[in-house]
Formats: sequence, structure tokens, C-alpha cells
Amino acid sequence: MSKTGGKFAALGLFALVALMLGVGVGSVYISPAGVLAAIFGGGDESTRTLIMSLRLPRVTLAFLTGAALSVGGTVMQSALENPLASPFGLGVSAGAGLGATAVMVTGLAGGVMGAFLLPVAGFAGGLLTVLLTLAMARAFDRRLTSVTVVLTGMVISLFFSAIMDLLSAMNPDYAQRIGLWQMGSFAARGWRGALVLGPVLAVCLAIFIGCARELDLLTFGDEQARSMGMEPDRVKRRLIALVAVLTGTAVAFSGIIGFVDLVAPHVARRIFGAEHRRSLPAAAVLGGSFTVLSDLVARTAAAPREIPVGAVTALLGAPFFMYIFLKKRGR
Amino acid sequence: MLEVRDLTCGYGREPVVKNVSFSLSGGQRLAIIGPNGCGKTTLLRAITGALPSEGTMELDGRDLRSMTARERGRRIAMLHQTSLAGFSYTVWETVLMGRFPHLGRGLFSAPGEEDRRIAEECLRKLDLWQERDRPITELSGGQLQRVMLARTFAQTPEIIILDEPTNHLDLKYQVELVDELRLWTGDKKRAAAGVFHDLDLAFDFADTVLLMAGGETVSFGPADKVNGGDLSRVFGIDVPGHMRESRERWRGFGG
Repeated sequence: MSKTGGKFAALGLFALVALMLGVGVGSVYISPAGVLAAIFGGGDESTRTLIMSLRLPRVTLAFLTGAALSVGGTVMQSALENPLASPFGLGVSAGAGLGATAVMVTGLAGGVMGAFLLPVAGFAGGLLTVLLTLAMARAFDRRLTSVTVVLTGMVISLFFSAIMDLLSAMNPDYAQRIGLWQMGSFAARGWRGALVLGPVLAVCLAIFIGCARELDLLTFGDEQARSMGMEPDRVKRRLIALVAVLTGTAVAFSGIIGFVDLVAPHVARRIFGAEHRRSLPAAAVLGGSFTVLSDLVARTAAAPREIPVGAVTALLGAPFFMYIFLKKRGR
Repeated sequence: MLEVRDLTCGYGREPVVKNVSFSLSGGQRLAIIGPNGCGKTTLLRAITGALPSEGTMELDGRDLRSMTARERGRRIAMLHQTSLAGFSYTVWETVLMGRFPHLGRGLFSAPGEEDRRIAEECLRKLDLWQERDRPITELSGGQLQRVMLARTFAQTPEIIILDEPTNHLDLKYQVELVDELRLWTGDKKRAAAGVFHDLDLAFDFADTVLLMAGGETVSFGPADKVNGGDLSRVFGIDVPGHMRESRERWRGFGG
């Protein structure tokens, strides 16, 4: 087996362990054999129900969300040739948060309608905000330079977050719910989220891997990409719009889960190299597994109380990120 | 091969480059010189398609602007100013990227045997073969620029455009770069045109010089026919006198 093949095998094993732990560990421990039996229709009724309607959908959604955010982060960092860029930095999270908050404070989030409206508002908010960021950045700077895009995204994000805080402060009844949504959660979401996010992720990832070479070129900046024979502006616009769709869908179902989009791409690049045909799938699996484990911590560390998963990803992600960077410096 | 006539371009309403004309044929090395802000880099950016422009800009009779980015990339490559590498591609991966305009699209975009052979040849030519597995983020500025030159060669263009490629480089790397480009244009089929800040290096590199000021052509012709008075007027300093003084200063050094 080649070196890269071995690394991918190890990554696959890591993902499998994460998924097994995610499904098996909780209020009731279920052995890997028990998990497999339940998935294939065996075992006792109550275990099967626990796994098929609670744990498996939750773990699946966590994995897909982490994968979507990591893939989005990888593409964004390369397209903007900025290792600190992220979909959230472009306004996806602030926009989605504002959309969801608007639905909550108007009282529409309750009941059956709410289950449908919240994700739609979150998705629309995220997507519209990125489009607004791009339009404004383009008005300032026709060539869509990375610095302009990153700065515009930052300003718009802060502005929208402020509006969200304002709405939250003026509607104390909903403040806690808004706060929780902003921290993200995979609890009690059923299969719906995974069923929507799965196909969106599959399509986007396929397109991104198809553009792997263009992404490689873009990391050298627009001018160099152009002189090597591509049209950076057009490709970049399309890629960023797709990232907005992908990450908007992800946050729509589970709220804002930070740090995965920033950390996973870096770790993937360090282990699998910078080339996107390897780093993109690696980031997806790494980010997915990391999010599953974070969610496991979130629901077991202080059981029966749940910690917001967004807090866990940041608590685990931030020191890990520092470690990676300091280690790199030290060499 | 490259024919530029009455080219006008700029960023806003006021053009930065006005009616500039020059031509480039096989084996030729053109230096574009002039004081800061005279439009040298803007002119290059128009040639690479980064800026809209008016006037004639033809490669073997074909309008450059009618070519797709890939077509242009197969025929014209560009070596940029040195910059830091942000992502840790290996030297080999970076040089292989030069093959991009020659590759297929999407599923057919994998570099073939021929692409690898060309990349290897370019690496060996520049003594970089043994460095092929190193991440470019670990290279010094001079080494990185050599890798970028290898990538430019791997693009197998007919023309290489240089945008102040020796900025921030040690003298050794500056001289090496110019020597490599001289070798590269030696087959009389390929040509190079570049913007240089260092006039000494510009004249070392070029056989033809385009002198610009205020976005317009001051003179265009053989390097040894450039008028010293024009240079002094454009740069606002006695250029030939300064160069002679500098030569004198170095005479005293042994070694």
C-alpha cells in the first residue's frame, strides 16, 4: 500500500471508531456488535428504537455537518488564499443566526411550522448574507480581491451579530433559545437533517473535487492562477456560492458549530498534503469524525445535562489548533 | 510573434498606459523600464488578460483577448514577484501545476506521463530534482523563485512575462535567474519580456528595451541604442554617470 493509501486507511479506521463510539456510548452503553445487530434489524426492540431513531440519526447529522463545514472551510481558505478564512467569516453563521432569530422572536418557530421554518430561515439567512458580502466586496473592488472579501465578511458578520443580540435583548422570552441555537446542537433532529444535508454534501464535494486543480492554483493568488491558464474571478464566485449553499444547509439544521471549519482543513493539509484531491476528502472525514466525538462529549460529559456542541468543538479545537501551529513553528 | 500596437488600458476612467507599441520576436529578451508608476506593471497585466484594454495585442496574428485563459496559458506564462508560499505544496506538486493549461478538465485532468516527464526535466534543469519532496513553505525566497521559474518552464510557453522577478532576491539568485532566461530564449523560438527595477540587471538581461514614462513610450529599440539623455530625463538622475561611478567604486575591491 502506498503511503497516502495507508494514511487514508488509518483515517477510515478513525472515522469508524468515532462513529461506533458515537452510536454506542450514551445513557445506555451498546457494544459495537449490538450496534451492528440493531442496524441490520436484529437485537431487542428497545435497543433498535434507541439506535435507529435517536442515536444513529444524531451521529449521522453530526458527521455530515462536520464534514460540510470542513469542506466549506477548505474551499474558502484556498479560494481566498487565506489560511484563516472560513465560511463563517464570510457571514454564513451570522446570517443564518439572524434568519433563525427573526423566526424565533416573531413567534413562528413554535409547532410544526417552526420545524420547517427554522432551517429554511437559517439557510436563506446564511446564503443571502454571503451573496451580500460578495456584492459589497465587488462594489468596493471589482476584482474581488481576497482581502476585500475577508474584511467585508467580517464587518457584515459583526453587524448582523449585533442586530441578533439586539433582537435577543428586546425579546428576553426567546433569549435563551436564541443563545442555544447559536451554540448548535444535534439533539432530537430526527433523520430529516441528514436526508437533506447528505445529498447536498455529496454533490458539493464531487464538484469541489472536480475543481481540485483550480483550487490548487487559486492558493497562489489570482494573478498567478490567471497566468497559469484559468479565469480566477468566475471560478471563485461559483465556488464561494456553493460553499454558502453547503454550509448554510449545515447550520440550518443544527445551529452554529464553530471551529470545525477552521481546524479540520489545517489538520487535513498537514497530514495529507495541500493538494485538494486529497485534502478535501480528508478534511470531510476528519471534520465529520471530530464533530461526532465532540457531540459525544457534549451529551455525556455532564449527563443528563447537555453542553452545547459548539462550545465543545471550540474547547477541543482551540488548544489543538495552537498545538499544531506551535509544533510547526518549533521545527 | 507578439505584436502590441497603440495599447491603452487602466483601472478607472483615466488610462494608465497610453498608446504603447512594441513587438517581440523569437529569441528576443525585452526589458520594460521606467520610473515608478509609469505603467509597466499595468501593461503586463493587460497582456495577461487581468485588465481590459484597447488597441492591438496579437500573438502570431491572433488577438490575445479572443483566446481562452487556457489557450493563453499554453502560450504565455508569467513569473511574478517573489512572495511567501501560504500552502505547503511540495516542490514537485508546484512545478507540475505549470502543466495545468495542457491538462483536460474535471475527470480527465490528471497529469499524464508526458506532463510528468516535462516537470521532471524542468526540475533537473534548475537543480531542484533532489528538493522535489520538500514543502515550498520551507524554502528561502531565492529557492522558491527557482521553483516558480521551473513551474513557468513546465508550462512550456512561447513567451515568458516577468514582473520584477528579482525583487527581494540575493545577487546570486538575480544573476542565475537572468542566465537561465538567457539560456531559455537561446533557441531563437521563445522570447521573454519583463519589468525590471534594477537598470543594471535590465541591461544585463535584455537585447531590446522599452523605455516608458507617464504611461507612454519614450523609446523602443535595441538595448545598446538607448539614449543616455532619455534615461536621465525619465529617471530624474544622471543615469549613465551614476552607473560609471558605481563601476569605479567596485574597481577597488579585490577577489
